[in-house]
Amino acid sequence: MLKTIIGREVLDHLKSARFQIALLITGILAVTTTLINVQDYAVRHQNYLDAQKELRSEGFEISVFREPQVLSVLARGKDRDFGDQARLSYMSVPSQLTGYMNVSRGRSRSLAQLAAIDFTFLVRVILSLFVVFLAYGAVSEEKANGTLRLAMANALPRDKLLLGKLLAGLVVVGGVLAFAALLSLLVIVLHPAVSFSTSDWVRAALILAGSALYLSLFYGLGLFVSVITDRPATSLLVLLQLWIVLVIIYPNLSVRAAEHVYPLPSEDVVLAQKQAVSERFQAAIQRANEGISRPSPTSTDRLQSLEAWSGEAVEMAKVDEEFGRRQSRQMRRAEVLSLLSPAAVYDQAANRLARTDIREYDRFMGGVRRLWDAFVGRYKLRITDPEAYKQTPLPDFSYRSDPTAEAVAATWPQWMLLVVINLVLFALAYTGFLRKDLR
Amino acid sequence: MRTIIRREFLGHVKSLQFAVLLVLAVVLFVANALVFVGSYRGQTERFEKAMAMKGQGTSTRITGVVRRPNSLTFIAEAGDPERPGGYTVMPGGTLMAESAGSRTFKLPDVPALDWSLIIGTLFSLYAVLLGFQAVSGEKERGTLRLVLSNPVGRARFLTAKYLTILLALAVPLAVGLLVNLVLVGLLVPQVLTLDVLARIALVVLIGLTYLSLFAFLSLLVSSLIHRSSLVLLTLLASWLLFTIIIPSSSVVIVDKLSSAANEIQVARMFEPMVQKEVWDRINAIVARAQKGEFGSEAEIQAAADKAFEEGQIKVNAFYEDFARAQEERARTAKNVARMSPAALFQFAVEDTVRTGDGAERDFLDQVQEYARSYDAYILKKLGKVVQTSRFSFSTSFDFQGRRMQLHSPRPEEYSGDKSDFPRFVERTATIGRSLRSALSDLAGLLVWNILLAGLAFSAFLRTDVR
Repeated sequence: MLKTIIGREVLDHLKSARFQIALLITGILAVTTTLINVQDYAVRHQNYLDAQKELRSEGFEISVFREPQVLSVLARGKDRDFGDQARLSYMSVPSQLTGYMNVSRGRSRSLAQLAAIDFTFLVRVILSLFVVFLAYGAVSEEKANGTLRLAMANALPRDKLLLGKLLAGLVVVGGVLAFAALLSLLVIVLHPAVSFSTSDWVRAALILAGSALYLSLFYGLGLFVSVITDRPATSLLVLLQLWIVLVIIYPNLSVRAAEHVYPLPSEDVVLAQKQAVSERFQAAIQRANEGISRPSPTSTDRLQSLEAWSGEAVEMAKVDEEFGRRQSRQMRRAEVLSLLSPAAVYDQAANRLARTDIREYDRFMGGVRRLWDAFVGRYKLRITDPEAYKQTPLPDFSYRSDPTAEAVAATWPQWMLLVVINLVLFALAYTGFLRKDLR
Repeated sequence: MRTIIRREFLGHVKSLQFAVLLVLAVVLFVANALVFVGSYRGQTERFEKAMAMKGQGTSTRITGVVRRPNSLTFIAEAGDPERPGGYTVMPGGTLMAESAGSRTFKLPDVPALDWSLIIGTLFSLYAVLLGFQAVSGEKERGTLRLVLSNPVGRARFLTAKYLTILLALAVPLAVGLLVNLVLVGLLVPQVLTLDVLARIALVVLIGLTYLSLFAFLSLLVSSLIHRSSLVLLTLLASWLLFTIIIPSSSVVIVDKLSSAANEIQVARMFEPMVQKEVWDRINAIVARAQKGEFGSEAEIQAAADKAFEEGQIKVNAFYEDFARAQEERARTAKNVARMSPAALFQFAVEDTVRTGDGAERDFLDQVQEYARSYDAYILKKLGKVVQTSRFSFSTSFDFQGRRMQLHSPRPEEYSGDKSDFPRFVERTATIGRSLRSALSDLAGLLVWNILLAGLAFSAFLRTDVR
């Protein structure tokens, strides 16, 4: 019995014009956006390799370059906006990344703040909208057509009918998602510049599973609204407005709210802290400068200079790091505030899995800081013990990128949240349907 | 016709979309006003403190200019907080932008909640939601035949439909704007000058032109397709394409299209350029010194100064080329985005309220003009202008048994009377100039309107009413 219902429902969906339009648009967008992102990644990765080869400097100043994340082809997140390099010298600890020219990032500021168009965007905005279109008529249309009464006149329990509709919807939604994912992954696999490691595939699979959860949530919402309204046009409009609020408006408002409820210290405060630091070191640096500009400075003079400057740099870095921690805290609070929107939850989890969120950036900056310590330690040797300096090469830059296990552990509450909302919506649709007046 | 408009309008007012739009408009416009008031007060306070504390200073070595906070960012923010808040100015036209880079870059990327977002994204969506049933809905209900059996021309009928969609959008928009302006006017009254009110009127006009295009689009699709749900799906797909997909993709696409050098290409040329323009010149002088071609340290330093200055002109020119290349890429990205009417609307509003790339360029032009008068002043007082750059260079070598330090030339401080020190006075673009720069985008919106109106009318006149 259930099989018959599912078969009929799936067929109905497949035949409908809206499904065919949706499939066409999904296919076109999946291919074009992935192609654009893959090519963009290829360029950025090539730039990174070129920089590694040609822009490395030795001596007073060294550069660290950030490799673009390969999964940014699926979930770009902030990968394009983090910056590409950090310049290290004993006089300053970099507090943020810059472009390859070591000046602020060049981008069109009017357009830069817009969302990235990638696979997760396709799922989050476009496919969720299509799911709404697939689901809105599930019950209300049958009711309006009068076929619901006929169906219930058979020896068919209500719960079975709803279950059938639910499963059929999920099959269709899963099919559209699989279609989009297949096309995207095909572009990725065929492009020579992109190669996923095993853990990348695991992450991509997890993103895909999360996408399925997210879309099924919208199907559940559609079913629920379809159950409680009697006219298909009403259910569609109700769903669309819910979609607008959940996907477009609420995520935006929650970020604005976080910005104002948890404000950052103002520029003046940070500047005053830095001025206090520079005043504390003023005397030491002046002494060091006098020593170093003597006709023939001794190694003590040079060491004194190094220590004064790097000491100040460390204290300055503390101010920057504290500010950075405040920024990260503000970001986490914005994330918590936006938990009410499944679109925001999905976005956070997907970017975390793709290593294109701020946590990855913070990890990278931690690596930069450790390298700085090693760099300054080695620079001291250059003054005190040139032989030892020659024998101890500077360690290659490395940082502990967010491990897959940790990312999974961190994102599962978000996925669970989506599961719970899914279950709640299905339960609501179910009880609503059992009580529904079919006349 | 009036009857149709009244009937239609009442139908809209009773609808769910209208109620939700009204609520959303009020909530978002209030949020926009509150966010703006908070940040504008902070900016003004910082600006005034900066002016009071250091003013501009009267040093002939280095000075700086601060940008006045823009009072219209609540209409179109256009990345204003990330644009330079001022410039450090040094002799020889060396400018360094202050504090580019965002304080809130760790927050999730969401577009600024300004008027251009509320109108450009939300209201355009509701234009679609209010308009998609205009023809197809009546056809489905069978009322279209009845209506057209009355002595009402088809063109007149469609015009009435069009006007009611606009009216149904204009009412929530007017309510939202009013609440917004009352809040802004009460909390920061100095913002709402006559000039600003005129600009706001223009923005509303541009907004209505933009929304009218979506109304025509809805009527067109509604006349072409019979099933309302398909009409809506098609319209939503075009809305997504116009407001999100095209503008967002343009930045990435332009990296493929633009012929201007990208950052890594410029960065690769940088070190060789400094080597050639600065160090090769200095090394030549050091070599000559060691061969004994110079008599004294002063002679060497004079030669080095000259060499450094020549080199620094090249270093500055290099940075200018880089900035130009970046501007060129940004311009190309904007031109790609202009395929979408949503971008035309955004840029027209930015120009009207003098935020955005045009305003940044305008400010930079003024700063460059100021830098020239600064140089003229230094020339008058000190007799020469030392060419600086954003780098200082120094090196040391052994000369006649002693260590000699060579450094890039340092500007002198003038110690006499500085009462005639040039002051930087920021000019904001007049409303006429703003309008002129917005004109091409506005014309683009009009073209879209005419095109879609023509298509909508011809489609409806030919539609099969049965």
